[in-house]
Amino acid sequence: MSLSVKHLLGIKELQPQDIELIFRTADTFKQVLQRQIKKVPALRDTTIANVFFENSTRTRISFELAQKRLSADTINFAASSSSVSKGETLIDTVNNILAMKVDMVVMRHSASGAPWFLANHIDASIINAGDGTNEHPTQALLDAFSIRERLGEVKGKRVAIIGDIMHSRVALSNIYCLNKLGAEVMVAGPPTLIPKHIQDLGVKVEYDVKKALEWADVANVLRIQLERQHKPLFSTLREYALYYGINKSMLDSLNKEMVIMHPGPINRGVEINSDVADSKQSIILDQVENGVAIRMAVIYLLSGKGEIVE
Amino acid sequence: MHLLIRQARVVAPGSEFHDQIVDLLIQDGIIINIGKDITAPDARLLEAEGLCVSPGFVDVFADYREPGFEHKETIASGLDCAAVGGFTHVLVAPNTHPATTSKAAVQYLLKKAHGHAVSLHPLGAVTRDIEGKALAEMMDMHGNGAIAFTDGWKPVQNSNLMLKALEYLNAFEGTVIQIPADAALSEGGLMHEGPVSTRLGMAGIPVLAETILLHRDIELLRYTGSHLHVTGISSAAGVDMIRRAKAEGLNITCSVTPYHLALNDEVLTTYNSHYKVNPPIRSEADRQALVAGLADGTIDCIASHHRPQEWDAKAKEFEYASDGMNVQEMAFSIAYDAVNGAVPLERLIDAIAVRPRQILGLPGGGISAQAQADICIFVTGTQNTVERPRSLSANNPFIGKSFSTRVLGIVNNGKYTIN
Repeated sequence: MSLSVKHLLGIKELQPQDIELIFRTADTFKQVLQRQIKKVPALRDTTIANVFFENSTRTRISFELAQKRLSADTINFAASSSSVSKGETLIDTVNNILAMKVDMVVMRHSASGAPWFLANHIDASIINAGDGTNEHPTQALLDAFSIRERLGEVKGKRVAIIGDIMHSRVALSNIYCLNKLGAEVMVAGPPTLIPKHIQDLGVKVEYDVKKALEWADVANVLRIQLERQHKPLFSTLREYALYYGINKSMLDSLNKEMVIMHPGPINRGVEINSDVADSKQSIILDQVENGVAIRMAVIYLLSGKGEIVE
Repeated sequence: MHLLIRQARVVAPGSEFHDQIVDLLIQDGIIINIGKDITAPDARLLEAEGLCVSPGFVDVFADYREPGFEHKETIASGLDCAAVGGFTHVLVAPNTHPATTSKAAVQYLLKKAHGHAVSLHPLGAVTRDIEGKALAEMMDMHGNGAIAFTDGWKPVQNSNLMLKALEYLNAFEGTVIQIPADAALSEGGLMHEGPVSTRLGMAGIPVLAETILLHRDIELLRYTGSHLHVTGISSAAGVDMIRRAKAEGLNITCSVTPYHLALNDEVLTTYNSHYKVNPPIRSEADRQALVAGLADGTIDCIASHHRPQEWDAKAKEFEYASDGMNVQEMAFSIAYDAVNGAVPLERLIDAIAVRPRQILGLPGGGISAQAQADICIFVTGTQNTVERPRSLSANNPFIGKSFSTRVLGIVNNGKYTIN
């Protein structure tokens, strides 16, 4: 079995069986990562470029580590230190990299749809590492994989995504992924940070975080981007933290042990308090660990080597 | 120079020969004979299945990019596009560099266009250098040939300035043309705000951006009693507002682009920057309301909103790509197929050839013997694709698409061009 797509542009384009295949493959790689030698020779013949037009630390490191664990050769390209600042176009930049015989491109970009644009103009496989306010597919995959790991399955589970839904590619990819796997999804946050037509994607909308927590089995708490403060979307971080931040006393009042997730980086004391982020209900560091296995799986499957049969 | 058009259906609402099948003989730019079985052995003969003759089309809003952006389009290449598209009159947007904001700029455009089969009518800027801060010399531009006034792609935002512009033009019954788009509500938006933009993770431009500015302008119009022409109407709500303002008796007219009639926001699904336009392509319900508005006359005219962009300006991430679509050559064909069945050919010709003349006071609009020919010749019921457009730019998603009509040519200004 192989993936139904040549690129991973978004979860939107995946079939549920693609996601299942990625999870099965990630299960295998997660075992590899527990071994003394955390490395397989599968992609010795593959060169991958990590092209980041937007700052990223954890996603880039996670991808790079996944590539190294697969024995691929990697090169890193960051826009700030590159010819992009000299006015080079995206097509030129990527074609220059591909001219050096690169097989796969992992790209992060601030413009929604940029991976689509690239896929229409180049031959190599593209993995979207986050595009604008559109998708962040590997994050959604690792989130759902982590829910599956903690709760046994994703189907039928209730997941509340809390925070800035409007500007979040993590939210959109999570909605697609969880829907395809049969989970129920709710988004919660200030009305100005929730897109007007989000219900059309088959999610519930809640403005009261407490009610969202009461409903959910899992809360995926999103980062509030501090620069949004300067737009008229909410008043102050103080008010946000008071009315939308997740704290331990809220969780304790629920009479259930729900799962807490966060894609990072965390603004402690804003969207989530330390007593929640560091609690045993939190699977934040499991998400990070699973990120490597999921990215190994995606890269491996897109390289066209076929399903791992044990 | 003789041209004999044989067995053509005349589509000229309000004219003597309307809906008759006749021969037309044209000599030196004058229709010297209309009748049955005309013979003229020396004449160039035009005959075809489904042949029609109508008044030459009028494009209420096109952007030719010269001076300043000659690599995208020039006045010469733009007027050639117009001719290919069946237009004999084109109103040219002032958003050049420098902008059409003075008598000298108006004269420059007229001089550049002189001698072409297509007549160019400069649109002067409402505000000086299209900065939205102070009124431009509209009186002087009018005196030198500016046909109407608009800030084009940068609609006037300041309410007081818009009020004064409308009042100022009452001195000579001038027209303000406005694209209804509130800048603050459109800011950062890339496409129509709706389920599709949400699905695609793209920032939306709400219908509110159209209705808020339209509402303001209608209020101002009620106060000043001037003439306002709204171009590029994109939403059902906008069409409703125009309908009510007309019913109230306000002097408001409006036009729609061919691509808003033809497309809905599902075309954005692949992030193709050819579909990046402003006002944005809206929902299917909006599109249907535009077609209905055209059918019942709420929408008076068709305006191509021709906006050429070179390859590099479009071959970019959607967010960074320039907006606009380059459709003047195919405007009629696109509109015809988009509204086929819902809007009769007669109304479509009225919208693209007759109403604009009435609104702007341009000559022509009929077809009669012993008169200057200002006509478009086209065929219906054909299969036709355009592979290589005449424009200097190719930012046009309709290239290679099949149309059921084809413009064969125009006669105007004593010249004819046959495609």
